[in-house]
Amino acid sequence: MKDKLKSLWRFFFGDSARAFGSASLILLALLAISPAKDHFSQWRHYQKQYLHLIRGRADAVTLERHFQGGIQQIWIPEQQVTDRCTTCHLGLKEASLNDVSAVAFRKHPVIPHSLTEFGCTTCHRGQGAATTVEEAHSATEQWEQPLLRAKYIESGCGQCHLEKQTATPFLNQGRQLISTSGCTNCHTIKQADGTYIVPEDDPPSLKHVADKTTREWVYAWIKDPQAYASTATMPNYHLSDDDARDISAFIIAQSAPLEPPLQPVKADAKAPADPAAGTSLYGQSFCASCHAMQNAAGMLVGGNVGPELTGIGTKAKPEWLPDWVANPNHYDPATMMPHYRFDAAQVATLAGFLASKTEPDFLANVHLDPATPQQIEHGKRLVLENGCASCHEINGIKKPENFAPELSRIGSKPMSQLLFVEGVERSLPGYVSAKVRNPRAFGSSLKMPQFKLTPQQVDAITTALLALTDRAQTQPPAMRIASVQQTKYEPAGHAGQLMKDLRCFTCHMINGHGGDMAPDLTWEGTAVQRDWLTQFLKNPETLRPALIRRMPKFNLTEAEINSLADYMMTVYQTPQFDRDWLPVSEFTPATAEQGRQLFYSKFACQSCHIADFAKDKGYIGPALAGTGKRFNAAWVYHWLKDPQALRPGTIEPNQHMTDDEARALTAFLMSLKSTGSKEVAKK
Amino acid sequence: MANTVDQLLEQVRENRIWRSIFRSGTGDSNLHKSLFVQQNVFLHLFSIKARKRTLEFSATWYLGAMTLGTFLILVITGILLMLYYHPSVPQAYADMKDLQFVVSSGVFLRNLHRWSAHAMVFLVFAHMFKVFYRGAYRPPREFNWVVGVVLLLVTLLLSYTGYLLPWDQLAYWAVTVGSNIASAVPVMGSKIRFLMLGGTAVNANALLRFYVLHCVILPLAAILFIAIHFWRIRKDGGIYAGEPAPEVESK
Repeated sequence: MKDKLKSLWRFFFGDSARAFGSASLILLALLAISPAKDHFSQWRHYQKQYLHLIRGRADAVTLERHFQGGIQQIWIPEQQVTDRCTTCHLGLKEASLNDVSAVAFRKHPVIPHSLTEFGCTTCHRGQGAATTVEEAHSATEQWEQPLLRAKYIESGCGQCHLEKQTATPFLNQGRQLISTSGCTNCHTIKQADGTYIVPEDDPPSLKHVADKTTREWVYAWIKDPQAYASTATMPNYHLSDDDARDISAFIIAQSAPLEPPLQPVKADAKAPADPAAGTSLYGQSFCASCHAMQNAAGMLVGGNVGPELTGIGTKAKPEWLPDWVANPNHYDPATMMPHYRFDAAQVATLAGFLASKTEPDFLANVHLDPATPQQIEHGKRLVLENGCASCHEINGIKKPENFAPELSRIGSKPMSQLLFVEGVERSLPGYVSAKVRNPRAFGSSLKMPQFKLTPQQVDAITTALLALTDRAQTQPPAMRIASVQQTKYEPAGHAGQLMKDLRCFTCHMINGHGGDMAPDLTWEGTAVQRDWLTQFLKNPETLRPALIRRMPKFNLTEAEINSLADYMMTVYQTPQFDRDWLPVSEFTPATAEQGRQLFYSKFACQSCHIADFAKDKGYIGPALAGTGKRFNAAWVYHWLKDPQALRPGTIEPNQHMTDDEARALTAFLMSLKSTGSKEVAKK
Repeated sequence: MANTVDQLLEQVRENRIWRSIFRSGTGDSNLHKSLFVQQNVFLHLFSIKARKRTLEFSATWYLGAMTLGTFLILVITGILLMLYYHPSVPQAYADMKDLQFVVSSGVFLRNLHRWSAHAMVFLVFAHMFKVFYRGAYRPPREFNWVVGVVLLLVTLLLSYTGYLLPWDQLAYWAVTVGSNIASAVPVMGSKIRFLMLGGTAVNANALLRFYVLHCVILPLAAILFIAIHFWRIRKDGGIYAGEPAPEVESK
């Protein structure tokens, strides 16, 4: 064996000529490795597979003509996109390849953008320059952004689209949650268009909190807000008993009495009000449009604009409820709650009804000794440390600025700046979602509280946060679609004061300012007839039978109604056409009959609308039985021609009617003058 | 056959063009040989004659020659790499990716340059240790030792400036740390740092400066000093072959 090896050695390296020759051959072989690796590269393998796939198909000729071998790339220098994904993903644009089982070669789902104009990594992340699967898809030492998981893909849209898009429900939900959960009370989020995400959680002021509730309730509430109301926005700070005791002591101690002070409840008023009267007044006033309450079956019924009222009797002091119901402005001038014009009896009834809604278990085990100065002092420190004043107004505590890290570029945060704990996926989305889901898992000393979010909500928030990338901030402004910001519109004069007092803008939008629960009133003056408006303000009838949230009755006086109606009829006019452009007198019964045909046959409007309460069952859109009394013909005509032009985003479809059709339908609708609602029709 | 080849070679050597380049002409005499070396810019750096002992492996372990070899590899691969590289931000890193993913044998080219650079630093040190422990630095070779030390510095600077060029995190922080060390120099520290980086932070200017240093100034310096180094070997009596230590003159 040894001899054999020796002779072999001698054969190759026996003398210098042989050694030189052998060494040269070895070097040559070594040098051949690199070109060989190029030749047997992964992408060539995939291109061969693709060719094999398309050759077996019916449209092989077309597909082969489209095929281009070699490394392909989408190059967009101004966006720093160099994506070679199309080297392997060869069928992205081939419409016929949408049924291919191999994901790599399948057609890209339909999106409103051209792949060549936007590239792949703009939305999907990953390493565009790479030509191997591992490098392109995964996080490596030289590239930390792996391919984005599909559930977060809408974050790609959010980099340019700062406005609400129907195609990105998940992203919209995330942005909405960031706003309504009050994330931006502590975290600043500056969007690429220079606007900020404004918090919309409406945290109450604590300036007079001792007038509203007890220290015991505050204690139990800050220990676990969701134990009081499952829908509570306030997050859980996981406070110890002592900390909660001291914070409640401080909060109550800082509270200043209201000016003028609350009226103590008279002994005789304590007589329990008729429960049925309270329930019906609660219903008539449409409190449930904004407030939720658990019914007997334990189901939550009502809106989420105001706080849940299931346990309001446990929370609110008996003398506070009547004061609040009578005029919320007294306790909190910044509230979103309208000022109902209740009379004294109604106030007593409603306050009594609310006071009866208790959750006795909530305070069952709370026994607090009177607070000591040390406890109050400690409470103050805790309030400062936990940043309570970031959300709540507290006497003697200034709102801290930038209490939490800014999140304007969280979607591009380098991995080296993230601290991971066990059980958290080592990626940026993994980190962000874990932080949103359970912040305290990253250390019990972290200040961020625990929000109550479903896994789906966590993913939505993560999606919205991942959209806040460097690319979003640095791309050319022309790429951006700006967010729609609320205007600062405020109506003027006496009517304006009235509209503010009634908090019209909590539900209605006018000139880009207000809520989206009720119809936009910007052009209400053109749309409706004055008589109908005054009648409606006096006693709002049911326009949309399918909705729980309806316009409440504010018990306005004649003078107030006239003032509002005059203002709205004069000011809220569209510039697009004249209110009196189409007089009803022009219509003949024949046109109206023709319109009736169109309503029931060609356009089948009765699928969604009611023209006749006795016959129709359309509950999607508003009832139209009273159109002739409610609207102006010019408005109806233009609405039928192009609903979106008058109210962008309305679900009413544009039927592309001819002028004659629209005119006939208008004639028919204007002939409908039923005054009542369904109940009236039944009688 | 052999005669024909010899005749052919002879004809070439007698050719006028050949003679205009190599003036010594043909012949086997010592004069011819020494003229041939003396009249060639490259060969005249080397000794006309070498003692057989100095050509053995044990004499030098060929460390100097191998260092030269790595330097030549670095020059060649470096020039090829320059064809693909832009010293600009952030294109520099994208060029690394291109070398890795789309340039034929790009990875091989880059790795060859990188490993040769590591090898050269190692070989330079090994060469110096060998020279030091054998006492080859002693007179009359003490000046060549100094030239060698300068070459060591040039090698290290080449290595350091090349480190920034990939423009990755490693490069960025290495140079940040390195330039901060420079700023610790008393009195003029921050000026030195400013001069190094062409600004106050590691950015586009620093990248350009390091690129020019790495690809122009330092290689030219290296070539100049290598030439002096080799020429001095000849002038100092050839490669050290274990002569006895010269007597120290005492006054």
